[in-house]
Amino acid sequence: MASSNVPGAHVFDGVRIADFAWVGVGPNATMQMAFHGAEVIRVESSNRPDTFRNGGPRPPGVNSLDASAYFAKFNRGKRSVAINLAHPRGAEVATRLIATADIVTESFAPGFMQRIGLSYEDVRKIKPDVIMCSMSMEGQTGPHAGFRGFGLTLQATAGVTGVTGWPDRNPVGTGVAYTDWVATHLGIIGILSALDHRRRTGEGQYIDLSQLEASTLVLDAGVIDAANTGRVAQPLGNRDLRHAPQGVYACADDHTGGDRWVAIAITNDDQWHRLALLMDRQDWIESDELCHAAGRLAAQDALDEGVERWTSTQTVSEVEQILQAIGIPAHRASNVRDAHEDPQLAHRNHWWTSDHPVIGTMSYESPAWRLSDTPPPMPRRSPLLGEDSEYVYRELCGYSEEEFKQLIVEGVVE
Amino acid sequence: MSQTTQAALSPYRVIDLTAEIGGLSTKLLAGLGADVIRIEPPGGHVTRRRGPMQREDEDSSLYWVQMNAGKRSIMLDLDQEQDHERLRALCETADFLFESDAPGAMAARGLGYDDLRERAPQLIYVSITPFGQTGPKSMWATSDLIGHVSGGLSSLVGDPDRAPLRPSVEQAYNITALNAGSAALIALHARHLSGRGQHVDVSMQAAMANTLGNARLYYEMDGIVTERAGGARAFADRATRIIYSCADGYVAFVRIPASMRALHRWMTAEDAHPGFDAEKWAGISIAGNNLPDDDEVAELEFEIEAFFAARGAQSLYESGQHHGVMICPVNTMQDIVDSPQLAARGFFDEIDDPELGRLTVPGAPLKMSATPWQTRPAPTLGQHQDEILTAAASEVRDGD
Repeated sequence: MASSNVPGAHVFDGVRIADFAWVGVGPNATMQMAFHGAEVIRVESSNRPDTFRNGGPRPPGVNSLDASAYFAKFNRGKRSVAINLAHPRGAEVATRLIATADIVTESFAPGFMQRIGLSYEDVRKIKPDVIMCSMSMEGQTGPHAGFRGFGLTLQATAGVTGVTGWPDRNPVGTGVAYTDWVATHLGIIGILSALDHRRRTGEGQYIDLSQLEASTLVLDAGVIDAANTGRVAQPLGNRDLRHAPQGVYACADDHTGGDRWVAIAITNDDQWHRLALLMDRQDWIESDELCHAAGRLAAQDALDEGVERWTSTQTVSEVEQILQAIGIPAHRASNVRDAHEDPQLAHRNHWWTSDHPVIGTMSYESPAWRLSDTPPPMPRRSPLLGEDSEYVYRELCGYSEEEFKQLIVEGVVE
Repeated sequence: MSQTTQAALSPYRVIDLTAEIGGLSTKLLAGLGADVIRIEPPGGHVTRRRGPMQREDEDSSLYWVQMNAGKRSIMLDLDQEQDHERLRALCETADFLFESDAPGAMAARGLGYDDLRERAPQLIYVSITPFGQTGPKSMWATSDLIGHVSGGLSSLVGDPDRAPLRPSVEQAYNITALNAGSAALIALHARHLSGRGQHVDVSMQAAMANTLGNARLYYEMDGIVTERAGGARAFADRATRIIYSCADGYVAFVRIPASMRALHRWMTAEDAHPGFDAEKWAGISIAGNNLPDDDEVAELEFEIEAFFAARGAQSLYESGQHHGVMICPVNTMQDIVDSPQLAARGFFDEIDDPELGRLTVPGAPLKMSATPWQTRPAPTLGQHQDEILTAAASEVRDGD
């Protein structure tokens, strides 16, 4: 696979990942390594397909497991092998694959890999220096190890939902599988740290990643505060505890469809003064109270009302330009169309185009980072389910053509 | 099990010049064993004065402890030429430098990537900025909220009748920092091949743009602009409820097919006499074809609401999960501190902070069998000044 002349294609030359993980976290993590030349082999089954293979969006009327753009987003640059792990011979095939792998990833409910004979203890007998990373909801041990969930619900357990909302209403959470985007990076960081350790010492290891524990990292000082002072962080709408005004304010209709909003954050006294001058508010300019954050925090309701009265007469583009021109943090509350068309993201070539025989041409996200010397090449499109089965069974697992055909007949390759 | 007790990144040194936007990335590397040297200006890093505070006074920041645990500290005045040279010398001994200044600001001090690459070719130079190093918005003024909205996530968050929302803890900063950590380690592996460091340009906007789930894909394929739907998951032009009230707070529950038979069994076991058709709902997905009409959903939710309203969040969590229902409590920070699961896994550690005394702190965010996470205290201002600068000076001399 690492045939590209782009230097970034070779960072993980020779590294093979047997990827038993599914849905968001594991596949997103291994994809970043696939971009840089790791051979990532998704172990899949049409009997128990990745949830995202049934997800959307998909071309109208196409009912195939290969039609989901959501699956494609997380699996570019990878291969796919069909192994029915529920079949008695499925584990045998998986064992042969693992014997060729450097890294094994999985995100089944704790206990499943043990039941099919592929626990870490089993796997290291097959491949002594293997790095195995399990990415479950709440870890492999403890009274909630078997508890089930996904990013939409786990963010509630992890404390994110409870601090997302208006103070006078129910918390709402983020509306996306938020903890997935957190746990993904703990997976990458854990695996790459372990791989580095192995390069130096020859020693593999087991990583027990609890998405819950990983997600507490993004709670800032919320947990350490509660643990040591008993204070419990509350949802603040869009406000901040340290400065004001800060909010997302309604703008005039710009006829692009839907309501339009702009975020403004006054983070210091200078910005405040410039805003008050710009808005020509003599009462704000002359107020001794409002010169300082404490005074502005005390007057937030009135300030928010005044700011919104001003923004609501202008379009988001006008507000962005006027405020950024005088150094005040302001940006439209981008919707997905804005994000898709954003000139800065376009400047970074953030959305990478990929052609797919079932999905067609779509663009997908690229990493949030750019590497000066080892940029990755455009990744290969996401694989069809089982597209690389023959390669994996024959070339990696060493089955003869006859044996491979027999495994198809027996229902292992599906 | 392990042949060594070394932490995974113990051979590596990190120079940490980040402000709020990047502190979490270097904290992670410190927990994985790297020698992270926090460079502080005279008077101390800005986050030493950032709340929440442990005591009444301004000098007891728990935020500082959380983000700087395991780092060492030296004080340098980067407004002074002399300290620029000290920093350059230190970079010769380092593997990573993390900074979050505005594009060009480090270069203006002679401390940019191009200034250091000849003298410290091994250095992986990680720049974390709101929009990236170049481009039409690269010099825009920013904050966590700006980063959040610039990627598009806020359009999916909040009640439809009010403004788009961000979480009240600074997610744009933290998600960006996690991306920076991943990128830095990819660059480390690249260095194993090339022997050279490189410049890593991390964008907060791009990091947040990668949190949109499949919503942007729906725009590109179907032209649908998904909008925020309150405590619900918006799927293109439909939404599925997530948040329900319960007796003492809230729980998160999504009527995915896999939960519906279990929910019926659970309600039956608790004599709640469910009226909904479990078989039917087990065949109805939350996105895609074969969707129910709004009245059917309202009727189902009404039943579920009544059942949850009579029970507490933690008890719903325990009993629901034991019945196989994917339900989660909307935990407060205190619930996380009190979590029996986290306690059983030994998640919390204790440290003796040099200024605040004994503290309970979140521990390993991942458990590595051979190279365990290290929880260490945060440094006092300039605590390691002499040992680090003296050693760096002699190391550089030895190198000559």
